[in-house]
Amino acid sequence: MNNVSITLALILAAIGTGCQTTPERSRNLNDPSVSGKTLAQQVCSNCHGIDGNSVNPNFPNLAEQQKDYFVDEIKEFKSHDRFDPAGFEYMWGLSRSLTEKQVGELAAYFAAQKNIPDKSADPKREAEGKLVFDQGVPAKNIPPCMACHGPEAAGNGTFPRLAGQHADYIMKQLTVFQRTDERPQGAVMKNVAHDLTPDNIANVAAFLSTLSKK
Amino acid sequence: MKRNLTSLLSALAAMSVLLLPGSAEAVPAFARQTGQNCVACHAGGQFPELTPYGRMFKLTGYTIGERTLPLSMMGVLTANKVKVADPAQGATQNGDLVFNTGSLFVAGKITDNIGGFAQITYNNYDGPNPDTGSFYGHTGSDNLDIRYADRLIDTNRDFIYGLTLNNNPGVQDVFHSVPAWGPATVPGSTGPGNGLTPILDNALGAQAAGIGAYAYWDKTVYAEVTGYKTGDGVFSFMTQGNGGQAYLKGTNPYVRVALTKEWGPHNAMVGLTHFDVHQYEADPSSPTDRYRDTGIDAQYQYLLDPYTLTATVARIHEGIDYGSGVPSATINSLRAKTSFTYQAKYGATLSYFNMTNNQMQESSGWTPEVFWTPVQYVRLGLQYTLFNKNEGVTDPRDPTGASILDAKSSNTLFFYVWGAY
Ligand code: HEC
Repeated sequence: MNNVSITLALILAAIGTGCQTTPERSRNLNDPSVSGKTLAQQVCSNCHGIDGNSVNPNFPNLAEQQKDYFVDEIKEFKSHDRFDPAGFEYMWGLSRSLTEKQVGELAAYFAAQKNIPDKSADPKREAEGKLVFDQGVPAKNIPPCMACHGPEAAGNGTFPRLAGQHADYIMKQLTVFQRTDERPQGAVMKNVAHDLTPDNIANVAAFLSTLSKK
Repeated sequence: MKRNLTSLLSALAAMSVLLLPGSAEAVPAFARQTGQNCVACHAGGQFPELTPYGRMFKLTGYTIGERTLPLSMMGVLTANKVKVADPAQGATQNGDLVFNTGSLFVAGKITDNIGGFAQITYNNYDGPNPDTGSFYGHTGSDNLDIRYADRLIDTNRDFIYGLTLNNNPGVQDVFHSVPAWGPATVPGSTGPGNGLTPILDNALGAQAAGIGAYAYWDKTVYAEVTGYKTGDGVFSFMTQGNGGQAYLKGTNPYVRVALTKEWGPHNAMVGLTHFDVHQYEADPSSPTDRYRDTGIDAQYQYLLDPYTLTATVARIHEGIDYGSGVPSATINSLRAKTSFTYQAKYGATLSYFNMTNNQMQESSGWTPEVFWTPVQYVRLGLQYTLFNKNEGVTDPRDPTGASILDAKSSNTLFFYVWGAY
C-alpha cells in the first residue's frame, strides 16, 4: 500500500465514524440504545415481514403472537436451550445480545400487527384438521389442541398462537416435537405430538394456516 | 493417483483439526457478525448463491449484527485433469491435487451504515516462469466492495439506498446471473474454454475502481449507476499486485436495473445491465477500444427446507470498436446455471455456456457438478466440463503448433476442496 491509499483508508474511517446513523435506523444488534421497534423494522422484517407476516414459510409469522411466548422463545434461543436446526442456524446469533427491554419491545411490536392467514386451498383436509384441533384423537389419547392453544388458536400467555401460522412451519415444528428433544420447553408438546400421523399433522397444519379469528 | 489420495487425506485431516469445536471462533467473519449459520445468507449453505435475506444483508451495507474480528480465510485445493493436457501447464492440467488459492478476507461492519469486504488472494499457480517453466505463486487484491447504506422502512414504505466502492463491475450485485458471481466461481473451475467472453465477464476484475449509487425500492425495483475508472492513484490499493494494469479512459458508466418479486417459497428477478467502456489498448498514449455491453439476465430461486434451488440465465451482447482501425467485433455470451441443494449438505449443479463471436473463438458446452458440504465451512465438489465446441485450441503435442484440437480434447474433470474459516 502506498501513502495515498493509507490516507484514503483513514479518510474513509473518519467519515465512517462521523456519520453514525440515528439509533432509529440502526441494524446494530449489540446496542441497548436501539429500540426493539427499530430492530424489528431493520433486521427482523427481512425474514418475518415488516408486519409480522413472512413471505417464505420457512419463517414463522409473528403477527399477533402472544407476547409471553415470544419472550420465552427468545430466551430459549439466547440460552441455546432451543436447538432445532432452523432455530440455532438463524436465531441464536441474532438474539445473543438483545436486552430484556428490547425483547419486550419486539414482542409488543409483533403482537400489535395484524395476522394475515392463508387462503383456504383444500377444504376437505382443513375440515379433518379442525376435528383434530377441536377434539384431539381420542383413540390415541391425543388431547384437543384447543385445550391449550384456545378455541380459536389465538394462544394465551406462553401457549403460542397458531391461527394463521404457515402450514409448513407448523408441520416442521410438530415433527421437531415428535422426533427430537430440541425444544425442551415444549416437552408437553412431545407428549401431544407423539402419536400424530403424518396425515394428522398435514391436516391440522392446513386448518390452522387458514384460521383467521382472534 | 496414490499420491493424490495421500495428499487429499492429509489435507482433510488438517482441516478437521481446524474444525474441532474448540475453534468455533474461527468462522467466516460475516457469520460471526450476525451469529447465524451460512445457510441464513447462502442458499443451502452453498457459496456464493444468496438468499433474499443474504441480499438484504449486502444491500444494507453488511451492517446487520455486531462488530467482531473482521477477518476470514479461504483456501482451495484443486485437481484439474484436461483430456489432452498441455505439459507446459504441469500440475494445473494433469490431475494432481494442488493447493490452488488462499484468500484473506477483511470483512464486516465498520459503523451502523458502513461495511464491506476486501479479499486478498494468493494464487499458487499464477503463471509459469518463462525461463524455468515452473509455476510461481503470487498475491494480489481480489474482489472488494465497501458500502454506505441507509434504509427507510415502516409498514408503508421500504427504501434502501447506498453507495458502493468496488473493483469489479458486477461484484456489487446481489444476484448470481451476473458474471462476477455466476457459473465457475469456484477458484480454478473450468470456464468457457477458449471462447471469447465480454469485458463484463470479470475482464476488469481488480483492475478498475468504481464508485456507484444504488437504491432498492419496496423489494421490487433495484437501480444502480456506477462509474469505473482505472484503478490507479488513490485507488491502487484495490488493484495491487495484479500486474498489467488495464487503463480506462475517463469514467465508464455501468447501469443496472432489476425487478424482483418474492412469493411463498419462490423469488425471482429479471434485470438489465449496460456497460460502456473506453479502454486504452496499452498505456494511456495508445488508441482506445470501445466496448459496449448489454446484458439481460434472470434468476429464480426456491427455498423450502430441506431443499433449495437457484436457477440463473444471462445473455450479454458486446460490440467492440477498435481504436487501431481493426474491423469491429461482436461477442455474444449465454450462460445458465441451476443449482440444487438438499439438507444444506448435498448439492448438484448444471451449467451451460455458449460463446459466439466473429473471431473464430467460439465455445459451448456443459458442466455438471456434484458437491458435498459435510460441515458448513468445507465443501468438496466434482465437476466435468464437456465441450461441444472450443475453437482455436492448438495441440500441445505438436511442436509446430499447427494442429488444432477437436472440442472433446478440452473436456476437463475438476475436483476441489473449498474451505473457509
Ligand atoms: C397441554 C397443552 C398443549 C396441547 C394440548 C397442545 N399444545 Fe401445542 N404447544 C403447547 C405449548 C406450551 C407450546 C410452546 C412450547 C415451547 O415453548 O417451546 C406449544 C407449541 C406448539 C407449536 C409450536 C408453535 C411455534 O410457534 O413454534 C405447535 C405447532 C403446536 N403447539 C401445535 C399443537 C397442535 C397441532 C396440538 C394438537 C394436536 C397442540 N399443539 C396441543 C401446549 C399444548
